[in-house]
Amino acid sequence: MATKYGAYAGKVLKIDLTAKTWEEYPLYDKDREMFVGGKILAARIIYDFIKSPIDPISPENVLVVTSCPLNGTGCPSSSRFNVSAISPLTGILTSSNCGGNFGLSLKRAGYDAVIFTGKSESLTWVEITDTDVRFNDASHLKGMLTGETQQAIGGKSGKLVIGPAGESMVRYACAVSNDRAAGRGGVGAVMGSKNLKAITAYGVFQQPVYNPEKLAKLKKKWVKRLKAHPLTGRQLPKLGTGALLSVMNQKNLLATKNFTAGKFEGFRKISGEEMAEKYLVANRGCITCPIQCARMVNLDGHIVKGPEVEIMGLMGANILNDDLHKIIEWNYELDELGMDTISTAGTIAFAMELNERGIWNNGLEFGKTDNITEVIRDIAFRRNEVGDKLAEGSRRLSQQFGGEEYCIQSKGMELSAYEPRGAVGQGLGYSVSNRGGCHLNAGYEVVLEGLGLSVDPYTTHGKAQLGIMFQNLMEGASAGGSCLFTTYAFFPFFLIAKPNSVMTRIVNFAFPYFGPVLKIVNKYPGLMQVNLTAMLPHPVAISYATGMKLNMGRLMKLGARGFNLERLINTRLGITEKDDKLPKRLTDEEQIKGDARTKVPHAKLKRQYYKGRGWDENGMVKASTLRYYGIDKLDEDPIFKRPIEQDKGRILVK
Amino acid sequence: MIKVEFFGLYRLSYKMKEWTTDASTVEEVIEKLAAEYPVYSVKELKNSVIMVNGTNFLKLRKFKTELKDGDTVFVMSPASGG
Repeated sequence: MATKYGAYAGKVLKIDLTAKTWEEYPLYDKDREMFVGGKILAARIIYDFIKSPIDPISPENVLVVTSCPLNGTGCPSSSRFNVSAISPLTGILTSSNCGGNFGLSLKRAGYDAVIFTGKSESLTWVEITDTDVRFNDASHLKGMLTGETQQAIGGKSGKLVIGPAGESMVRYACAVSNDRAAGRGGVGAVMGSKNLKAITAYGVFQQPVYNPEKLAKLKKKWVKRLKAHPLTGRQLPKLGTGALLSVMNQKNLLATKNFTAGKFEGFRKISGEEMAEKYLVANRGCITCPIQCARMVNLDGHIVKGPEVEIMGLMGANILNDDLHKIIEWNYELDELGMDTISTAGTIAFAMELNERGIWNNGLEFGKTDNITEVIRDIAFRRNEVGDKLAEGSRRLSQQFGGEEYCIQSKGMELSAYEPRGAVGQGLGYSVSNRGGCHLNAGYEVVLEGLGLSVDPYTTHGKAQLGIMFQNLMEGASAGGSCLFTTYAFFPFFLIAKPNSVMTRIVNFAFPYFGPVLKIVNKYPGLMQVNLTAMLPHPVAISYATGMKLNMGRLMKLGARGFNLERLINTRLGITEKDDKLPKRLTDEEQIKGDARTKVPHAKLKRQYYKGRGWDENGMVKASTLRYYGIDKLDEDPIFKRPIEQDKGRILVK
Repeated sequence: MIKVEFFGLYRLSYKMKEWTTDASTVEEVIEKLAAEYPVYSVKELKNSVIMVNGTNFLKLRKFKTELKDGDTVFVMSPASGG
């Protein structure tokens, strides 16, 4: 094994689909120390391959699936793996996180990551085992749904597959593992463009961890805290992410009618409470997850995976639909066809507005739901003109029909269901997020601005700095393999459980004024040489699992390094300050007429953000920032030029 | 009459979407609720997120917020948005 660290498999696999060959890729321990895993390690790998803009659905694109060090260690909610590529939707880097079993199986097969280049001549299923890589003919899987495909492959392997939408190269097609999706950015279309219907991994390789005793103790405490925390122990297990929908409505955060409002009269009928009462059969979660936020629901006698809050909002309020049954049906259909629910819903809402304005007669109308199922299928198979156009995503529609000011996307990716005029920090995040209009890569500041706490949603004070800090923390936690919901436990219990207490109100009031302190922390995260293990066990867990020395500051520095590296890749692909924007509807029009606070003061927030990030006024990462994060000389050391490192042994026990 | 609507975990615990009562303040609503449906105590209910006609009661007079006939009070379990 070419690693001295625990929890890693120690090898990376590179597969050339054109030549049908495979080889080990020379990733070294210095890369593991710097980039750890998941989306950050994937960005480091992609950095060497993509130097300038490419056609993302050409063989030039590279698909990188990375596992994370905590996968397979039994840490709570730590089975998340990552799929990265240049996005067919946005033309820039996308990274898509997934809770299925593929990451774990890949490690069991002996690999920390797998890189796909080129394009197979015909539809293929790549089978990775601990002894071999096989290229199987997949013609019998052609056109199959994601569930059917996994069933047809069968066996005990971990699977990552695409459905018809991926095969049709719908620009926001997803890849699916078990019933979890690597949803955003069109990684399914990249697989489709490579004629890669499925990847499977199987092996019995067990990665020993560095300090099993301490890790076992930490896991116990970690699970205990997650189970005791009001958000991860009660709200998410009982109501799923749908619990947020009613709150969003109360706080003007529920995107309604293509983001013309933040409240929907019919919100009660599409809420998490309604789903729990009428449809919930059982909770389900990813492997090793004590939270179990996924919903198994009864859809006309079939037990299927229920919708998350994003699609409940976007296929509900945002298209003026108050029929939860239909949302459940569409959600199931989208997972099976293999399409990102958020981008599908956002594109449909934009098309509805184009139709309403008499610009594009496409048959879609706000409040009209009887044709949506057919439209979804039309998109997946690109089987008529409307479906084919919708399959291109909302930005391409606006390039053809106009309406840029109400085309609700950023960098080509449709926004999630959180209406940012009710949470301006979240609005900033959407615009500067590396993968486009993603609520998580944005920093998910709406949790502070209404979903978890009640920080003033309209003030610009401290919002840029808070956003940077949460982006960095979440990037770091994600690289380790943890679900981002585990970072909820970062908030002390009383802030959530006692919202009316004096202390909570003081914290809510004071949070924006932490900006100057956070400015220093964000600029020099390495200074935070502390561990708050109870609140944020992630760095300690990674340390016990791998033997690397991590603490809170290093985790944040890792996250910031990843974020800046992704930005660096994107700027090479043409992203500048001009692309960090929101549609004018959100920046120039008041959400509540007469209340000037209810629009995103974007220019001001963006200036603060760039300063805090160490980017120049054109949005380029400054040389000094690159130096601080140790990513200024990557061009001098491309990974593929190195020899394969010799066996370095393994630290088994401390 | 005051219309009280339940959200979050309360809706599952009380097994009802709404309830009507006579009360002149938010505090009275909570006391009557705890008395009629002793699922939660007054102390526990004081940690609820409460909206009166769409406005968070912390921006009004908190538990002393006065209510009039026809008002709607949303009572949400804590961890429902702070």
